[in-house]
Amino acid sequence: MDFAQILEEYGQNYATAIMQTLSMTALCFCLAMVISILITVMRVSPIKPLRLVGDLYVQIFRNIPGVALLVLVAYALPNIQIVLPWKTCVEVTVVLLASAFGSENFMTGINAIGVGQIEAARSIGLTFTQTMRKIVIPQALRSAVLPMTNLLIATMLTTALGSQVPLNPQELTGLVSYITTRSTGAGIVPFIISAVCYAGMSVLLGVLGNRIDKKVRVLR
Amino acid sequence: MADQTPVIELRHVDKHYGDLHVLQDINLTVHKGEVLVLIGPSGSGKSTLCRTINRLETIDSGEILIEGEPLPQEGKALAQMRAEIGMVFQSFNLFAHKTILQNVTLGPIEVLGIPKAEAASRAMELLRRVGVDAQAAKVPAQLSGGQQQRVAIARSLAMQPKAMLFDEPTSALDPEMINEVLEVMVELAREGMTMVVVTHEMNFARRVSNRVVFMADGQIVEENTPDEFFDHPKTARARDFLDSIKGH
Amino acid sequence: MSAHTMSMRDALYEAPGPRTKRLTVIGTIVSLALVCVGLALVVRQFYVTGQLDAKYWAFFARPTTWLYLLNGFVGTVKVAAMAAVISLVLGVLLMLARTSGIKPLAFVARVIIDFFRGVPSLLLIYFFYLGLPTVGIRMSPFWMITIPVALAASGVLAEVFRAGVNAVPKGQTEAALSIGLTPGKTMFKIVLPQALRIVIPSLISQLVVVVKDTTVAYVVSYPDLMQNGRVLITTNDAVVSVYLVTAVIYILVNYAINQLSISMARRSGNPIISRTTENPT
Repeated sequence: MDFAQILEEYGQNYATAIMQTLSMTALCFCLAMVISILITVMRVSPIKPLRLVGDLYVQIFRNIPGVALLVLVAYALPNIQIVLPWKTCVEVTVVLLASAFGSENFMTGINAIGVGQIEAARSIGLTFTQTMRKIVIPQALRSAVLPMTNLLIATMLTTALGSQVPLNPQELTGLVSYITTRSTGAGIVPFIISAVCYAGMSVLLGVLGNRIDKKVRVLR
Repeated sequence: MADQTPVIELRHVDKHYGDLHVLQDINLTVHKGEVLVLIGPSGSGKSTLCRTINRLETIDSGEILIEGEPLPQEGKALAQMRAEIGMVFQSFNLFAHKTILQNVTLGPIEVLGIPKAEAASRAMELLRRVGVDAQAAKVPAQLSGGQQQRVAIARSLAMQPKAMLFDEPTSALDPEMINEVLEVMVELAREGMTMVVVTHEMNFARRVSNRVVFMADGQIVEENTPDEFFDHPKTARARDFLDSIKGH
Repeated sequence: MSAHTMSMRDALYEAPGPRTKRLTVIGTIVSLALVCVGLALVVRQFYVTGQLDAKYWAFFARPTTWLYLLNGFVGTVKVAAMAAVISLVLGVLLMLARTSGIKPLAFVARVIIDFFRGVPSLLLIYFFYLGLPTVGIRMSPFWMITIPVALAASGVLAEVFRAGVNAVPKGQTEAALSIGLTPGKTMFKIVLPQALRIVIPSLISQLVVVVKDTTVAYVVSYPDLMQNGRVLITTNDAVVSVYLVTAVIYILVNYAINQLSISMARRSGNPIISRTTENPT
């Protein structure tokens, strides 16, 4: 089958698959940001058990392969009576993975600030809360723009895990395996369409992130 | 020039870093309008001493009094006290994400509650005084070290401090920028600011200070007027130290 | 000075006063209690659903179980090692092309790099597993998993190498050219060897990504750790325990690789360059 035939027959599927990939990406990324902020707060808190839990969380989810986590969520959890819809399984997996990396990005941003600025803030009479609000958080957020852009792209690529469970509708990777098994003459065209969609969106997000970063970057 | 009202008092201050006894029974009083210079070899505890005065370093025992009141240990009271004592660091420590103007107005707006417009006009006045008003809209990384340090002084001055601490303010500067910072400090001293200065600039110590405190191994070894100290050091350690820096 | 050697997260707080000390102690006790309650709830859930029964765990006492997992792990190592080697070569080639100064070549290299960095490795694996056979290209399961994993890594590696080359001081190139080396010789004899040394910690940390990507080997039925784990599940009828053990093995292996990379970065003073630290496009 050539390009036109594939689009003719599966154009609608591709449209919904793109929407599925994008909506999962958006939802997962937003949730991952919220959780990575929480985890980062735990990791920088002065309370040891919270730090430990935060560090452990990050080490587990930045080192576990996506598939190994997905099978735990999708196939092991039901055995302890936690049954989630397929799509939720994928989303939970992606959020856990992405939030670990998100917290690492925030920590890197905090580490870049340096002890000196904190002491300077103290010495002009800023309280802890003011120092956090006016000095630490703004700088950590600004230097996180570029790494978070990359994380957003990585989050999108990770939603391809959706191809490992029966999603309805399918996302961009699952759709390809569906088309190829259904229409034996489809050849490699379905792959190329999906790949171009992914790569195009990646480049687009990258350009956007670069632009924002240039505007807000903290010169050192 | 200096009257006898004590602004900063340290009584029997002790501090350890692990096994190292960095401050040993330090007793020191800084009076209103006095310029006190702390000198000594590196590792003598002079920077640590300077940093204990606004509790950037804690002490193990002893007492630190600011205008007769004990140094608060935490919270709003501590922040309040710090706002009244300026501090200038070796590495400037300007806020990297804020403009020069914002660096100077942040404290007055957040801590003193001064309206933005007023804070800005006062900040510009201070920046003019230290000679960097033309750079007000830039960010710290765009300024030379000397300019950054002068901004840091303006940032401290904006809090209208009762006293100022200088922790080796010229040590991180290229030689050609040292004077521009020292000049600002001389001007401050002339206006009657109470100052504690940790420095290696012996000319500054001699010309500007009222009193020189020489430290070694965590102890105050000698305390004297600058002329007496530099011309007739009483202790062998001070003599050795002065000889060693003359070699340069 | 102590203030300058402490970690940043400690530096956020000053030495606590008596009130802060009290609050920290209370916070520690409360949070410790919460963590314990959480752990207890998890264990309870495992217990009431019977997942702590001996039948789910007893077979881990048999050496054959571990031998089988070890076999799978060897498969993982084979794929990861071969993919790493291929991606290193491809990464260097792509980097050389991108920095060649020959416009069309640089453009093509850039498109290839962006493509492999912007496409999920799963899609590449399906391409080798489902796509290529339809146009008559067949290969063994080993290569069906190894090549796509290598391709996915090569894009990122090309950018890591490029960052490494950029980190070599300009003076090195100038000095090499000034003693009469050709630009080519300058690259291969002077710049590239130094760049390689700079990126070693980054390459090691990229190995984690490669290991993770190999876990979908079951798609092509290649017997890696994950695939053998799945076989164990069917033979022992134990989903939770086997998946948990497999996951822990992966986590420990990747953790070890990451720590190695971090310690090498610390020792050499060269930062870890990854897809999160470089520019996305």
